[in-house]
Amino acid sequence: MSTPDMRLADAFVALAGTPDDSYDVARHLSVLTGHSVALLGVGAVGAVLRAGDQGAVRVSASDPRVTQLETGAVDRCEGPGHDCCRTGALPETVLDTAPAHQRWPHYTPRALALGYTRVAALPLTVREETVGALVLLHSRSTPLTPVELALGRSLATAAATALVRERELTRSRVLTSQLELALTSRIVIEQAKGVLANRMTLSMDQAFDVLRSHARSHRVKLADVALDVVEGRLNIADPHAA
Amino acid sequence: MAAKQGSSGQATGRAGSAWLHAARAGRRAVQQGILADQHERLAALTADRRTFHESMASIHRGTERRHLAAAQLHDARARRMSDWPQDRAAPPLGLAEVAETCETPSAALALIGADHRQLAVSSSDQLSRSALDLEYILGLGPATDAAKWICTVSASGPAVDGLWPGYGSELAALGALSVIAVPLTSEGICIGTLAVFDPPPDLAGSGILAWVADALTDGLQLGPDANPELYETADLRPVVNQAAGLLSERIPCPIGDALSLIRARAYAEATSPETIARRIVSGELKIN
Repeated sequence: MSTPDMRLADAFVALAGTPDDSYDVARHLSVLTGHSVALLGVGAVGAVLRAGDQGAVRVSASDPRVTQLETGAVDRCEGPGHDCCRTGALPETVLDTAPAHQRWPHYTPRALALGYTRVAALPLTVREETVGALVLLHSRSTPLTPVELALGRSLATAAATALVRERELTRSRVLTSQLELALTSRIVIEQAKGVLANRMTLSMDQAFDVLRSHARSHRVKLADVALDVVEGRLNIADPHAA
Repeated sequence: MAAKQGSSGQATGRAGSAWLHAARAGRRAVQQGILADQHERLAALTADRRTFHESMASIHRGTERRHLAAAQLHDARARRMSDWPQDRAAPPLGLAEVAETCETPSAALALIGADHRQLAVSSSDQLSRSALDLEYILGLGPATDAAKWICTVSASGPAVDGLWPGYGSELAALGALSVIAVPLTSEGICIGTLAVFDPPPDLAGSGILAWVADALTDGLQLGPDANPELYETADLRPVVNQAAGLLSERIPCPIGDALSLIRARAYAEATSPETIARRIVSGELKIN
């Protein structure tokens, strides 16, 4: 049997995650929304995440119907998640009111149809950058307490930190592999020149010409041709031999 | 005459470009400094979020230092290019600026692969180049360990040879008695190392070396501080790799074995791998 403190600790450990090769954003959002429902005692939680610079957005929720609700809101650029991403934390809103219908004409009736009467949204923020929003839906007669909102903010921050960390790690891995690939490609080309120079009794410049001609005529990258030569998979015929 | 004008124009252009880089890095440092100041003020004013603001201040302060180090590197580069003789081709951005920024006589940069072996190198002078060759030949040394353990490595006097047998005595013969090597890391991944030789006594504890390493990492990767010259002009040891290809075909053996043969020969003859490689390529030296 777990105490509330233990459940809280479990949630933060799960959200901290271990960003590695197996890291999965969808699973992370699912962990966030699942733990948020359990700890905050709300009806459902949706997470809206800006997936990159291209304007792509990912949506996840504790309930598939809420995933649909939030996805529809993203498509129409409305709803508490959208507004929160733009302006920061959104105060709790009672949905069955004229202002709510006016503000979110598509979102409000659908949320009400699912049985939710109140909604609040908290930003997923790291280092002053908002990467998404956590949407809290419920049908209680009273609003969320300041303690519940503070806990929600902490969950959102923990989740956003792990997400941004993973994003930075991925970017760094890509840049590092690009740098290493650029260097090793140039090295392998030099090695292939040596192989061909010896095989065909050519100068290094002539060996490079042979490599380049082969790459051009076969529409293959020079570095790929060089690697095949060095690893013995390609035996280029001497163009001058005939 | 045309060549002279071209060199001069190139040097002037490079000085201008370096001033621009320095100014940009300086501006970014100022912005980060302002953000750090704001968080430090808020940390002092608000009790409930003090830890958060202190942590943010620390992040912005670290980034500020990183940009300042980049600004210093480009500033040194710009001054060097402004004074560059008109009849000499402008040199690439190099380790001379790094050495100047670190106030050390000699600095060496090694870009490494996943196996911690050197892929490409840059050096400020002959001593640092010879030290890089030494690590390449021996497969051990301060930069190799800094990359392997992702930490700062330093040693001086007899301790150098104690840590890396054969390296210390050769380094002393080159004229250097102490060395500090730091890894160039990006999100925990080591992409290279920076080593300085006979550094001033207070360099190790000053943090400057780590900030310069960070600035070099930014310069090597695609980002606002990217400096393609840094990696485009790094020495990939082309002749050594040509010789390795040639040997691997002649013997025959895998490329890795051919490179080991070149290193072993360089060690046995107490010369550089390039010297051995040139003799192989020219046909003067036959290794079977």
